[in-house]
Amino acid sequence: MTAHHASPSVPPHRYVIIGNGVAGNQAAEGLRSRDPEGLVTIITNNRLLFYNRYLLPLLFRSHKDWRELQSHSADYYQKHRIRVIRDVRVTAVDAGRRQVMLAHKEPITYDTLLVATGGRSYLPEELADSRHLLNSFGTYEQAMAVKKALPDRGTVVMLGGDMIGLDLARTLLSIDCRVVLVTHETTFWPHQVTPEVRMEFLNVLRDMGMDVIDGDAAGGVTAIEPGTAGLPARRVVFRQGGDVYGDVVMPFYGLVPSVEFMMGSGTDIERGILVGTNLRTNDNHIFAAGDVCQIWSEQEHAYRFYYGYQNVRAMGAVAASNMTGGNEHFAITQNGSLSRDGRGHIDSSFWAYD
Amino acid sequence: MKATDIQIALCGSAGDGTIAAGDILRNAVARAGYRVISFDVYPPEIRGFGKCISRVRITTEQSYALKRQSDVFVSLDDSHAIPHVGEVRPDGAVIFESQPVATVAEGHHISGHIHPGHIPYGIPLRELSEKSTGGGRSRNLVVLGYIAGLLGLAPEHFLSIIEKKFTKQGSEVVSRNQAGFHAGFQAGTATFKLDNVFFTPLGTPHGSEQVVMLSGNAAVAQGCMDAHLDTFFGYPITPATSIMERLAVALPKRGARLLQTEDEISAMAASIGAGFAGARAATATSGPGLALMSEMIGLATMAEVPCVVFVSQRGGPSTGMPTKTEQSDLNAALYGSPGDSQHIVIAPTNVEGCYRCAGKAFEMAERYQTPVIVLLDLYLSNRYETVTLAVSGPPFNLNANKPRPRLEAGEVYKRYALTDDGISPRAIPGDAGCMHVITGLEHNELGRPSDQEEMHAAMSRKRHDKLLGALQHPDFTVSKRFGDPGRVKVGLLSWGSTFGECLEAMFMAQAEGIPCAAMKVVMLAPFPVQPVADFMADCDVVLVPECNYEGQFAHLVQGILAKPVVRLSRVPGSPMPVEAILGEVRRLARGAVTAIAS
Repeated sequence: MTAHHASPSVPPHRYVIIGNGVAGNQAAEGLRSRDPEGLVTIITNNRLLFYNRYLLPLLFRSHKDWRELQSHSADYYQKHRIRVIRDVRVTAVDAGRRQVMLAHKEPITYDTLLVATGGRSYLPEELADSRHLLNSFGTYEQAMAVKKALPDRGTVVMLGGDMIGLDLARTLLSIDCRVVLVTHETTFWPHQVTPEVRMEFLNVLRDMGMDVIDGDAAGGVTAIEPGTAGLPARRVVFRQGGDVYGDVVMPFYGLVPSVEFMMGSGTDIERGILVGTNLRTNDNHIFAAGDVCQIWSEQEHAYRFYYGYQNVRAMGAVAASNMTGGNEHFAITQNGSLSRDGRGHIDSSFWAYD
Repeated sequence: MKATDIQIALCGSAGDGTIAAGDILRNAVARAGYRVISFDVYPPEIRGFGKCISRVRITTEQSYALKRQSDVFVSLDDSHAIPHVGEVRPDGAVIFESQPVATVAEGHHISGHIHPGHIPYGIPLRELSEKSTGGGRSRNLVVLGYIAGLLGLAPEHFLSIIEKKFTKQGSEVVSRNQAGFHAGFQAGTATFKLDNVFFTPLGTPHGSEQVVMLSGNAAVAQGCMDAHLDTFFGYPITPATSIMERLAVALPKRGARLLQTEDEISAMAASIGAGFAGARAATATSGPGLALMSEMIGLATMAEVPCVVFVSQRGGPSTGMPTKTEQSDLNAALYGSPGDSQHIVIAPTNVEGCYRCAGKAFEMAERYQTPVIVLLDLYLSNRYETVTLAVSGPPFNLNANKPRPRLEAGEVYKRYALTDDGISPRAIPGDAGCMHVITGLEHNELGRPSDQEEMHAAMSRKRHDKLLGALQHPDFTVSKRFGDPGRVKVGLLSWGSTFGECLEAMFMAQAEGIPCAAMKVVMLAPFPVQPVADFMADCDVVLVPECNYEGQFAHLVQGILAKPVVRLSRVPGSPMPVEAILGEVRRLARGAVTAIAS
């Protein structure tokens, strides 16, 4: 291990992390520990400091202030000298100048960059025009907006039903809300399930009290409309005819990596940023970790995504090590199987966090 | 429900509309019924240079000083705002431009300086302004709208204030600015509010009172008008100019007169002339002007001519710091005129006090036939507060002259008659049978020059003793004690604008369990010896905070009472921070405990 250490004649190493999630914060912690003199900067489009998004469903059980979700206090960042630039957007990375360009036209210079921007909700193209009638669930603010829009014992229509959505769904069912699931090929994403397993767990969801609509049989969703007077606030229209009403309609079609700003940086990108198991990109000064990167799998001879809290956190630690001269390799820590808990309800390794 | 107590600070460069935005904000919330205290900091340059900050504290109950930390901080110019971003309280909001027009050098955008404990709100102010108004100049109104939307303030009062403010520039300008406000308001309403500040609903105001918002100088002008000022003579000087500007509009409407003279000497001389002629007369200036007026003030003292001088202090000596506040003209106000030239000096401690002191100054000038100096400072002159005025009318006596006894046949009128209370019968030119002489020379009872030893001693005694009556002047608070009664560990003895900060510090100290009291001294000459002595006797230790280097008020107190005080003398060019006073109170309280224990 050869961490960078500043001497009076050598300026401190500038580590810049784009992304304020699990991977980014794990990396920041590792960088500070391995290079006490380095300048560590996290850049995020979020207003809040890092908080545990896995706790967002709990907002529906009881009132929780965002401060209660924060993983670290403000003092932690000051004590560890981790600068967090929030509520700003990265527009580009100039790998030649080693600069991150922000939307407000300010460059941030790095010596080593970690891209850990994660992913954002995927929305099928045919629903793009209905975006304003949909409620996302990626942030505290979005979760609170859903809570505000949802009446007591109200109805939530979930489109797709990835594991992020199903985590919320089981909470909503526990507080006597009605959940209508419109299935899609992304149902149970990121689990890759056989038709038999899919059928088995859709029945589990029904047993839990969820209304399950076969999205394929209905021809898919063609539009979301405002509900009419006397009916819930949203109407979901199916291609084959028919509709379903809900107070809130939420898309859960899995995630797409947030990589647009990396276009033109010279970094290899497929769907995500391509990295080796050491999380280094084809640019020696740029690393990637978390849901935004595809990691080379020697076993599969392909680049693939690895999801889940524990995997992502492990990536953050590996990135920090290798950004400071280490030579570690990411190894999967979390397998991806669906299971049932003691009550027969659906359970997933992706819901595990600590 | 918690009472409202929100401080909003707007920071920008001259020309950004920072002060204008602060003005609209404070007027709008005052119109909505909230109590306001507000203070602007601006550069001496007119445009395109220095830093402007407008701080507005909005409360349900009247507060006494600005808070050190704001709840919401707005940057309209990051180069000026970055050094102030630490003035935001933990979990407070920082609103900034997310789409500046030009490239920003690395490290020069405020987003990189916001503390982890603050909540950032990056807003495309310029873009919203351009889309809604066709130009980028309404960023200040966009941000006002954003604040109103974010914090849940109704837009009506803002829109009417904007209309009032820009109506002279035409309906198009009004509409454009209102459109900018609307654009910001919609953005603010759509933003998820993470901060825990709320505007609580207000109760119905008391019917016998009207609440208006005034700056210190506006309150002075209002007090002058309500006391029926007849003539004003002045020469512009920061920070007193706006007194004259306001009176220039108001006085002619009532048939009264204002004249801008060629300098401060003339202004003072003309005021004395008007006072001699029986008019209520005044002038206003700052430290450098007071220096020029000092000889003439001596003339008014010697000739016993009523006149009022408003002095708004700024950083000195000499030209000093014209746009920074200070309390360093106390010595000049008390002793500036040569000879034993005692006159009345009063210093209000808040904006409402400015109104009352202005009106009462004319009563005192008439009653005690003397110049009265009303000592303000830039902080008080430019500070805005909601002021409660009685609906029943101004509380001023419009003729405070001591009644003049009727002259018996053959009796000679003695303008400077030696009386028990030292106040002589005052006649004005034209009063039948009362022809007399006034002069800067020492004189006898008739006003004729005299340098006889006995006469000079008698007249000197008369000129001093007559002023003692002012200590019992009707309906005037000469000094007042606040806080814990009886024995206390720490007493805060204060004057002028710093008293508000003292009061806030006292409340905070009391909340911490420190037995504490505060006394404001409004009348500085003649000095209220007994009340101050009584107060000091109750205190284990007396702290005197004031914004001057020498501790001028502490000198005055110690000189008169010969008792020790602890000085907290600072010249930051800005108001004394409450925390600085509180820190000293804590330190002294610990010391007092030790002293008692030992």
